[in-house]
Amino acid sequence: MPACITGIGVVSAAGFNRADTLDSFAEGRRHFGKVTRFESPLDVPVFEVHGPLPAAPAGSESRTLQLALHAVSEALSEAGLGAGLTGRRVGVCFGTTVASQLNDMDFYTAYRQTGTASLVPVERFLKGNLAEAVARAIGAQGPRITVVNACSSSADAVGVALAWLRCGLCDCVVAGGADELNRIPLCGFHSLSVMSREPCAPFDRDRQGLNLGEGAGVLVLETEDAARRRGAVPALDVLGYGAACDAHHLTAPRPDGTGLEQAIRLSLAQAGLEPAAIDFVNAHGTATRDNDRTEGSVLARVFGPSVRVLSTKGYTGHTLGAAGALEAAFTALGLRAGWVPASAGFVNQDPEIPLEALRTHTVVRGRYALSTSLAFGGNNAALVLGRRV
Amino acid sequence: MNIAGMGVVFTRGRGAAALEQALEQGWVAPGTVAVPAGSAPAYVVAPETLADKTVLAKARRADRFTRMAVLAAADALQDSGLAGRLDTSRLGTIVATALGPHTTTFGFLDGILEFGDAGVSPTAFSHSVHNAAASYIAMTLDVRGPTLTVTHFHFAFHQALLLADAWLAEGRCDHVLVGTVDEVGAVMAYASGRLCRTPADGRIKPLAFATAPEAVPGEGSVFFLVSRGEGAGYGRVAGAQLTAVPEPAPEGAVHLLDADGLSHDESGYRAVAREGLPVASYAPLCGSLMTISAFHAAVAALMLRRGRRYAVPVPDGAGDLQVCHESGPAEIRHVFCTRLDCAGNRVTLHLAR
Repeated sequence: MPACITGIGVVSAAGFNRADTLDSFAEGRRHFGKVTRFESPLDVPVFEVHGPLPAAPAGSESRTLQLALHAVSEALSEAGLGAGLTGRRVGVCFGTTVASQLNDMDFYTAYRQTGTASLVPVERFLKGNLAEAVARAIGAQGPRITVVNACSSSADAVGVALAWLRCGLCDCVVAGGADELNRIPLCGFHSLSVMSREPCAPFDRDRQGLNLGEGAGVLVLETEDAARRRGAVPALDVLGYGAACDAHHLTAPRPDGTGLEQAIRLSLAQAGLEPAAIDFVNAHGTATRDNDRTEGSVLARVFGPSVRVLSTKGYTGHTLGAAGALEAAFTALGLRAGWVPASAGFVNQDPEIPLEALRTHTVVRGRYALSTSLAFGGNNAALVLGRRV
Repeated sequence: MNIAGMGVVFTRGRGAAALEQALEQGWVAPGTVAVPAGSAPAYVVAPETLADKTVLAKARRADRFTRMAVLAAADALQDSGLAGRLDTSRLGTIVATALGPHTTTFGFLDGILEFGDAGVSPTAFSHSVHNAAASYIAMTLDVRGPTLTVTHFHFAFHQALLLADAWLAEGRCDHVLVGTVDEVGAVMAYASGRLCRTPADGRIKPLAFATAPEAVPGEGSVFFLVSRGEGAGYGRVAGAQLTAVPEPAPEGAVHLLDADGLSHDESGYRAVAREGLPVASYAPLCGSLMTISAFHAAVAALMLRRGRRYAVPVPDGAGDLQVCHESGPAEIRHVFCTRLDCAGNRVTLHLAR
């Protein structure tokens, strides 16, 4: 049973909403710059969101929640559910990384220095479970859980939503992911020596690593019955979700890519599709040496070397826990718009990667596309999305 | 959803036998954890409990949070008798946690403060993410199926069970390792001491239903191997998200209350305890733990397997309630475990023989 997509919301450096994002994609604009959200001595480009975000509810203030609520608002509005969810069985499943950790530097610095600290940040953290906070904000009464699967968190959140709908736990799920740009992961990824001093270049021969970003992506997913009952006419679906673990290494993908391949084949099987039906792949494509080599090889193995592949991280940076849902949303927008952008940053094919990323804005006529996510811990996730005729 | 195997790591040891022994022995005073003011009582897991070099061979660099989870998950698989006989590409893992590996997270912050933004340890960073434990479980047990870590402050375990059942129902997995892990660290023990009242004698009193309850932080990990097929040695999960005990209550039922002092007002449990079933709570054996529901599910599973009830370790305040005061054989067919969050929201877990 597919899940109908009745609403999409996005916010990232690529755009403050769907329309902004498509404009950036169409014109190939990349909004990166130095870190402005906090003091950082690290000289690396980042992709920040600039613009007025909605206030987070008192007591659970966080930028990640603000980003999430901004995208939720756009998605619910498109779904025609902006007026309220009363009487509906609505679940909330969100992926994140930053919002799950109490990494408040001011609190911790005070604690270290004096042995005491204001507990306001702790209490804010304890009221800020992302899915719970979103559910409270929109009045959702169904199941709610926050997925913390590192960089595949929100792709997995969409997969959880699909399972909830298929099993009848709810009729509608607000599924997505959000992460703010934060000093802690910036230091962490820098320590791993996987960050580029230049704008990232996914799949390119000369890629030097990733750039961090921030944002949120949200899909309103419904059962066919629930959507029809309220008069919605869905045009897009999530058709399949596959997930598999490498069981190999904490931070590096399994070199042979068998975990990713298994996730992709499972997603296709759930969608009832053969690889040839996939028109394009919005790849994880972080622009790290390891990720792109493994991912590119697997995509070529499953779909053939001429598969149309792009990474939208050249427009957004790596938004960590938001990336999976944001990129699933971009994939859905591409199917609906009938085009996908050039894979920003790609110039030269890497001899170690048996495929080329898209060099130009490309017309999409097919009905099906894939979005992939790889993560710390060896997690691999794949989502198959479809456009109705 | 059948429970084929169980693994437990808590302050009194490791494994179902250690849990059973603790239930028979009753309460013992907690240990301590260092905080800025000296030390605070806490139900901590002893280092020797986590010293299994065989199971942890692939987790040598892992922190305590991950070690607890790996051992509990490995024990659940071993306990099921299915180790080595499963298709691990169809074995899923769901790790539920409230706070994640926060000790390592704060250790990473130490690195930033001491060595600067560009001088931190990549190992500390990679181990500070919430899903590090799930990753080590996968590497240790060669789990190739979906591997997920989820977080919620009150109902993480219930949501994990719901998802495990969904994965089994949609045929994504044949078996799922589903469980919880949370740790006590100095910072959170400090916060707990400031946010909650601490009993002078270290005794949590879950049946006192206090409006300002007392808490003593605990830590540990509980895992179950669940499936829809073979193996129901510990009974089955008949419902993971009930809003009440069914009426009339089934014969041979016991009600475990997840009161542990962490919600700022536990008076709501009194009404739950008045619903007519014998009640118990074993929080004094594991400590105050946001994922205590999994610990109580482990006790429930043991009750069903052994056909035995266990005396409540701290009966203070039970008054005229029908409470398990003595351990002994009992015809237990159903165990309900109820959790109330700070806002009074209720979720009841139902395990049945």
